[in-house]
Amino acid sequence: MKTPIQLTINGQLQRLEVDGNTRLLDLVRNQMSLTGTKEGCGVGECGACSVIMNNEAVCSCMVLAAQCDGADITTIEGLAEDALAKELQQSFIEKGGVQCGFCTPGVLISTRVLLGKKAQPTDEEIMDALEGNLCRCTGYQPILKSIKAVICK
Amino acid sequence: MVEFSLLGKDIPRVDGQAKVTGKAIYGNDITLPGMLYGVCRYADLPAGKVLKIDTEKAMQVEGVVRIATFADIPGKPTVGVIIQDYLPIINDEVCFTGDVLAVVAATSYEAACLAADKIEVEYQAFEPVTDIHQALKPETRLIHPDKASNIVAKHHTQKGNVERGFNDSEHIIERVFNVGFQEHGYIEPESITAYIDASTGDLIITGSIQNPHRVRGMVANYLGMPQSNIDVRRAVMGGSFGGKDDTIDHLSCRAALMATLTNKPVKFTYTREQSMVESSKRHPYHMTYKVGFDQHGKIHAMKVDILADSGAYAACTPFVTWRSVVQAAGPYDIEHVRVDVKGVYTNNIFTGAMRGFGSPQIVYANESLMDEIAEYCGISPIEVRKINAIKQDGISITGQKFSNHTVSAVEVLDKAIDGAEYQAKAAHYKQLNQGTGPIKYGIGMALSYRGCSMGAEGVDTSSALVSINGDGSINISTGVCENGQGLQTTMSLIAAEVFGVPLAMVKFTEPPTSMISDGGPTVASRATVTGGNAVKHGADILKQRIFEVVSGILHVTDINDTLWQAGLIINKNQPDLNITFSEAVNKTKWAGVNLAAYGFFEQPDISWDEEKGCGSPYFTWVYACQVVELSVDTGTGKIELLGVTAAHDVGQVISKVGFEGQVAGGIAQGFGFGILEDFNIEHGEVKSENLDSYLLPTIKDIPAMNIIAVENPDVGGPFGAKSIGEPATELAAAAINNALSFAIGQRMRQLPLTLEQVVLGYNLKKPARQSELMLHSADKKHTLRLTDLSLINPTDLEHALTLLKDAKYQAISGGTDVLVQGRIRNKPQTLVNISGLAGLCDINETADTIEIGSGVNFNRIVEHPAVAEYLPLLANACHTIGSNQIRNRATFGGNIVNAAPCADSVPPAIIYDAEVELMLATEGAFKQRRLPLSEFIKGGYSTDLQAGELLTKIIIPKPNRFDLVAKYNQLGRRKALNITRLSLTCLIGVDAQGVVDYCRFVDGALFSKPQRLPAVESVFIGHQITAERVKQAENVLLDMIDSAIGGRWSAAYKQPVFINMFRNVMDEVSAELAKGVK
Repeated sequence: MKTPIQLTINGQLQRLEVDGNTRLLDLVRNQMSLTGTKEGCGVGECGACSVIMNNEAVCSCMVLAAQCDGADITTIEGLAEDALAKELQQSFIEKGGVQCGFCTPGVLISTRVLLGKKAQPTDEEIMDALEGNLCRCTGYQPILKSIKAVICK
Repeated sequence: MVEFSLLGKDIPRVDGQAKVTGKAIYGNDITLPGMLYGVCRYADLPAGKVLKIDTEKAMQVEGVVRIATFADIPGKPTVGVIIQDYLPIINDEVCFTGDVLAVVAATSYEAACLAADKIEVEYQAFEPVTDIHQALKPETRLIHPDKASNIVAKHHTQKGNVERGFNDSEHIIERVFNVGFQEHGYIEPESITAYIDASTGDLIITGSIQNPHRVRGMVANYLGMPQSNIDVRRAVMGGSFGGKDDTIDHLSCRAALMATLTNKPVKFTYTREQSMVESSKRHPYHMTYKVGFDQHGKIHAMKVDILADSGAYAACTPFVTWRSVVQAAGPYDIEHVRVDVKGVYTNNIFTGAMRGFGSPQIVYANESLMDEIAEYCGISPIEVRKINAIKQDGISITGQKFSNHTVSAVEVLDKAIDGAEYQAKAAHYKQLNQGTGPIKYGIGMALSYRGCSMGAEGVDTSSALVSINGDGSINISTGVCENGQGLQTTMSLIAAEVFGVPLAMVKFTEPPTSMISDGGPTVASRATVTGGNAVKHGADILKQRIFEVVSGILHVTDINDTLWQAGLIINKNQPDLNITFSEAVNKTKWAGVNLAAYGFFEQPDISWDEEKGCGSPYFTWVYACQVVELSVDTGTGKIELLGVTAAHDVGQVISKVGFEGQVAGGIAQGFGFGILEDFNIEHGEVKSENLDSYLLPTIKDIPAMNIIAVENPDVGGPFGAKSIGEPATELAAAAINNALSFAIGQRMRQLPLTLEQVVLGYNLKKPARQSELMLHSADKKHTLRLTDLSLINPTDLEHALTLLKDAKYQAISGGTDVLVQGRIRNKPQTLVNISGLAGLCDINETADTIEIGSGVNFNRIVEHPAVAEYLPLLANACHTIGSNQIRNRATFGGNIVNAAPCADSVPPAIIYDAEVELMLATEGAFKQRRLPLSEFIKGGYSTDLQAGELLTKIIIPKPNRFDLVAKYNQLGRRKALNITRLSLTCLIGVDAQGVVDYCRFVDGALFSKPQRLPAVESVFIGHQITAERVKQAENVLLDMIDSAIGGRWSAAYKQPVFINMFRNVMDEVSAELAKGVK
């Protein structure tokens, strides 16, 4: 049985019929070819699959596509023209926030949502927003440094 | 000191843009026309003989194109980097649970998974051999019957006469250290795609490949093809740390086989579980250190015996263990040394290369021992290291004279000690530890040296292509690879520095194996030294050629009289005589001079005598010291890092951002190795299958770091540079253990330092029951994934309730439990999506209550002002659940209905007397009932939810007192993403005389369900809180725990620790009452 849904992905309205096993992650990666969203664990632990759903960061492996009727979804590709996201991206390149890059889209999604709500978050608030984004390369400190460089501007 | 234009500065990484925008193509992002999906069928047990593999049912699955087994391999079926004992597809001998019996290719991923599930296998099971000591006994079954013993490899080092050394020593101590497995934990699971290029007929392999030339060589043998017909083109790599070495060799063989058998592209991408169960791990080591020293702490003799668990196959064990024997005694000048190491086959998961490569284990043991010697002699940890440290021109334990590089063991030690303000901090922490509270503080250090590159392990050459274009832009490629560490930036910086051009003029391109010769593997922290030297060699050749063309114009005859800077070539003595780089290049081109060069790094002289166990194993060495500060809650065993100072001699920093990133990342991995990463494997079965049970550090666990570069340029390094990747990883765990000993006055000789290890002195694991191991359901999913789900979006609550009347429907809200369970579940399920449904998502405040809809997610609860005001314990508890992303989905109702004993929202809800409202559609009406939450939850994962009922609302009365002390103390293994180990919630009030007139306690994750503890509460009611009362309550609690869970495996830890948490909470309560509640 397929479920009819209508949702917005990166500003574009989509009308789709989705299978009950299709996760939001599969929808964006396989059907929409938006491969910037990554799968790292499939159980909501690593955050590599983070997307923005109705202005909040969620793990797209923990949401069924069929649950997204009426949802507004933004992936890393949808931030291409976002001024704040661009600043963050540049800072990550300059300050070491990115190494292998596999967790990076998810980290940026979480950061962008946070800064959208609060322009000058405390360290505690940054860590609250990023605690669900595992990174194995950077040791996190360069990520914090990259974010703080943008906040302090 | 040499002034560089670009080196050692803050420069953005060259491959960052594609990564931060999500455009970079990793292995699993590749899709090709007509592509098939490959899935492996793994073994069902860790040891046994395969009697029959039946693929008939699997072949009937629609979409299956081909299933391959051992019989389909055209070439040599065994592979291996040193010892060829690994079978990417096994014949009939199962040696570990990651062994692959068959491989499926199908037109869809689901068809491939389903077919793999349907392959039926019959076995004769063997008792798995999982203990290294057992494996070495003569009567033990051979893991590989064709070998003479279960020993994979042995090595030794020998200097002086260790027995004589002990005879001459005033003191001798002997200690045994153990460390467990460690998983690489790259966030990108393995992915390989193989296909035949229709135009050339070549076999193309792409994906997450650490060492492309090694993959090519192995696939060539496996398929019986010449290497020239195989082209390996790497995708962007999502982290490797040594892990996408052997495992990717094996997966590439399978993918290549399927591509050639089907003549179609075939992509394999692992789930996290497959990655964890199949991929190699860091070796567990059992280490016995015996050391003789005098009263001043000077070491005279050291004898080390190491047993390494190689698991089912050899992989890199011979090399890993060799590095261990060379470095086991640390950066110290010791007259008499004997080190022996044996790698041992078992039926555990196989072990191989992982960042550090045989050093984190021995650095941990040896540096713990150094602190023990200091304690024994009553000297400081600094002094004992300085007395023994190897100095310039010293002789190492293998007889190598350290004269060709700067020996900076003492220098890095001094710099780390100064940077950390060690002396002042140590004094301060000592003073703090005089207090009686459970929190103790520690500071500890570790010092190491490390041979750069592969050394006498093997051939150590490397390759690079440098080519300058007509416009002055430069293309470079190397035989060593970008795995995320920043190699492209390092190589580009080296080329740009040679030519004196801006970094933007240099473009790094990943070469396919067909275009560059084998540059050796990207391992052993060798890429900067070997690949960097190759780039510099190629660039220097071209620089000389350009110079020869333009020397006349510049009026110079010696290249050393020119300055190549900012895009100009300048006569040093007459700066007005200059030419732009691009113009010079143009002239060189039109002079008909070759502007492409092949750079090569030739291995300097090194030697190793395996017989005698001595030689000069590495051409240069690096030195490093890390100092860790931490606090530990002695009541629970929870360690918190407060700061890390790291001083690393890297010769010369090439990229400052890259250097600091390597150190910070290495420290985080060392922290994981030291404390969190408890890889659980029981009787050969991997229990830590995903990142919810194998815990990587989160951003909250890693403290600020003080990273100090020590630069003593190396004669052999490119611009003097040496290594950083692995030294960064090998020290933190050792320093943590020393800091912990400082804090608690007791030494742990086993890593990781789990909560249980710290409190009990041993690691506590849930025992695997032998009966469970052989029980494999025939319809088990071999690849965990969602199957057989369908979902209905109801129009409103009534519609949802009407649907739920039918037993085939199940409600899903946030889905964070349903979908995790759904990946394992193998029965069809129709879900009614109640997420966001009107009537379930409101928080309403009435005069007397706060009513929270069952569909309200945790972040909304945390952020709600009325919850914060009236129900602070609920806000606190909900804030600790999962992660931010999880809290945006997971709901209050879901947490309650799932009824896990560790559900974090439940204890505060119970303490506040929450009631639940349940609705049920009956004929023509909707029935409601309400009952206390404490009655609704009946036990672990069990509730009073009736068929067709939906939890709609949680009603919590507003507390009528505002003078209560409220505490929610939660214990988890890390600082976020926790499954709560234990929690204690309490609300206490006193009257004007300090007599307790309100008292509630609720446990979490202790008993089968969170519940009030009336027996404990009644101890306090009507009395003042005194030490005697608390003691009395502890005794009551002890009895309660004893009778409820006393016999369980976890009681040894949970019983004392819950009492400690209770005492701690009561101390906090008393302190707060003394201050007066606001």
